[in-house]
Amino acid sequence: MKKNMPVPIKTEAVKEWVLDKNHLSYWLRQLRKDFELVAPLRERNDIVLKRIDRIHEIALDCPASIPSPKEFLFPQFEPMLTKGTDGISDLRDGSKRVIFGVRSCDVSAVNLLDKFYLSGIADPYYESRRKNTLFISLVCNVPDGTCFCAGLGTGPYLKTGYDIQLYDLGDRYLLQAGSKDAERLVGRHRFLMRKPSKTDHEDQYEAQASSKAMFAERISLEGARQMITDGKVADDFWQDVAERCFECGGCVYECPLCTCFSVIDRKYNAGPADEQVERSRLWDACMFKGFTGMAGGALPAEKRILRTKRWFYHKLIYYPETLGAFGCTGCGRCTITCPGKIDMASVVHRMGNEYSKG
Amino acid sequence: MNANNVYTPSEALIEEVITLSRNVNLYTVKTKEEIKWLPGQFFMVSVFGFGEAPISVTSSAREPLKFCIKKVGHVTGAIHGLRAGDTIGIRGPYGNAFPLDVARGRDVVIIAGGLGIAPLRPLIHEFMENGKDYARVFLLSGSKTPADVIYSEECALWEKRGIRVTLTVDCPDDSWDVCTGLVTAHLDKVEADFQNAASYICGPEVMIEAAMKAVSARGIPEERIITTLEAHMKCGVGKCGHCYMGPKYICTDGPVFSYKELRRLAERFGKGHGPQDDPMWGY
Repeated sequence: MKKNMPVPIKTEAVKEWVLDKNHLSYWLRQLRKDFELVAPLRERNDIVLKRIDRIHEIALDCPASIPSPKEFLFPQFEPMLTKGTDGISDLRDGSKRVIFGVRSCDVSAVNLLDKFYLSGIADPYYESRRKNTLFISLVCNVPDGTCFCAGLGTGPYLKTGYDIQLYDLGDRYLLQAGSKDAERLVGRHRFLMRKPSKTDHEDQYEAQASSKAMFAERISLEGARQMITDGKVADDFWQDVAERCFECGGCVYECPLCTCFSVIDRKYNAGPADEQVERSRLWDACMFKGFTGMAGGALPAEKRILRTKRWFYHKLIYYPETLGAFGCTGCGRCTITCPGKIDMASVVHRMGNEYSKG
Repeated sequence: MNANNVYTPSEALIEEVITLSRNVNLYTVKTKEEIKWLPGQFFMVSVFGFGEAPISVTSSAREPLKFCIKKVGHVTGAIHGLRAGDTIGIRGPYGNAFPLDVARGRDVVIIAGGLGIAPLRPLIHEFMENGKDYARVFLLSGSKTPADVIYSEECALWEKRGIRVTLTVDCPDDSWDVCTGLVTAHLDKVEADFQNAASYICGPEVMIEAAMKAVSARGIPEERIITTLEAHMKCGVGKCGHCYMGPKYICTDGPVFSYKELRRLAERFGKGHGPQDDPMWGY
């Protein structure tokens, strides 16, 4: 090859198999021997992502909006290090984990989290967890009413960027392995699977088409981005949004792409005359007044409008500028959570109504 | 200690503590490994059990590592409780550095407000040590009261080595016989060739804004007006999100910015859109 020729990007062929639904629990049980298996399950009236002890408890029939798997890469509370008389010890988590049953939007979110946490100075805690985590995602045959991934290309199914993707085809799954790690993992249990036939692919196509047709509404984040960068959206609009904000931080905690954290030190006695300090990090939210608070007591973002506007600007303007994609995958969790109805979908929708014609 | 974990501080020994004013101490710190830094960079300084805070380096590359720390909050309060022989944790250096090329061959106007002199000190040393690369160097340093003036003895040394120093306080007492009033009020005394000068400014936010406007009005182009900002930070490496300013993070994109960059950010994202509320964004 001549010098200076662009290196051709290797397009890996998607490796596909068909897994009979009767074999799913056996397969997962086998995987659990080498990995901690995390999947959605029902706890009272909630759906939670948890380590699975009994395979039959996995709630495969749950709605699309299960809690974000962000928790397993960037936990709500994560011990970082301890400092004792014998020095500093690193508390990085490197458990091997398979997260089963998450949806395409969240896999898309993780791909963007990778870009954020691993670019520049890489975050060692995220890196260690990410390296050891594999996702088995489920294509959404039936999106929730709050979902708007279809217009963003972040769901309901993915063409690239997944580890293992499952299409529910009624009595069987069409399984796609999108990475080398995933291929190796599937390869170990090839005896459970068969090559897909023409009918399988026809059913897959039908599932894709019917799912896409079920999305109630298209939300155009690109339209919103343009309205903002064209200077059409006045501060009055953001003032109205801010007035509806309860400052609960729910949008930030639920968002699979909110990445901010705070760090705290706690002292405890590990033994007589052995004081240990544990340094941990925990989710923080730019919606809180104290988020930017300085040592002298100054609160640079005391006005609520600065904080609510910041959240939308971050996702609609800064994310595309710095990482090349919107900081929103259309998962709709903020729509479910926000008590003030100023979630991403509602605000973008309202922005369109007010400004798109002018 | 783990070398590949950026969040793990290295232990450093406090060799000397010097009281500079009623609430400002100068800490000389010794690290196990040799650390290099540039003027304008900062370190995350830890006191285990209290937390971490971003602190700029106040010593030049030829000196030992020194931090000039004012007692203002939780962590700095804890640091003030330490004495020579105690250990702290440090990690860094982080952030960009003061650009020097904008000043080569030109007059330099350095404006400091209060503790703002601390990060500017290594810069002053650079101008003294490589004096032939720069034309005249002016230092305007303002403080609240005579009791808050730091580095006054060093100012005398700097003056001997060719820096034209003007000290001023807002609220003078009987002992004060030099200038009074805000630093910007004394710019007229600076006989620099402003059209062909560079300026470095650090201090409280309102003072930075006023000083940038003032030197800009006298003719220094916006790209040669340099300042360094501070913000609440938890990580120092662009991940925790606390020091945002529009799409930028002060820790990794700054802390040093030019007036031009700041104005462009303000134009694009409007007034009142950084952590810096109205004063900073009202250019």
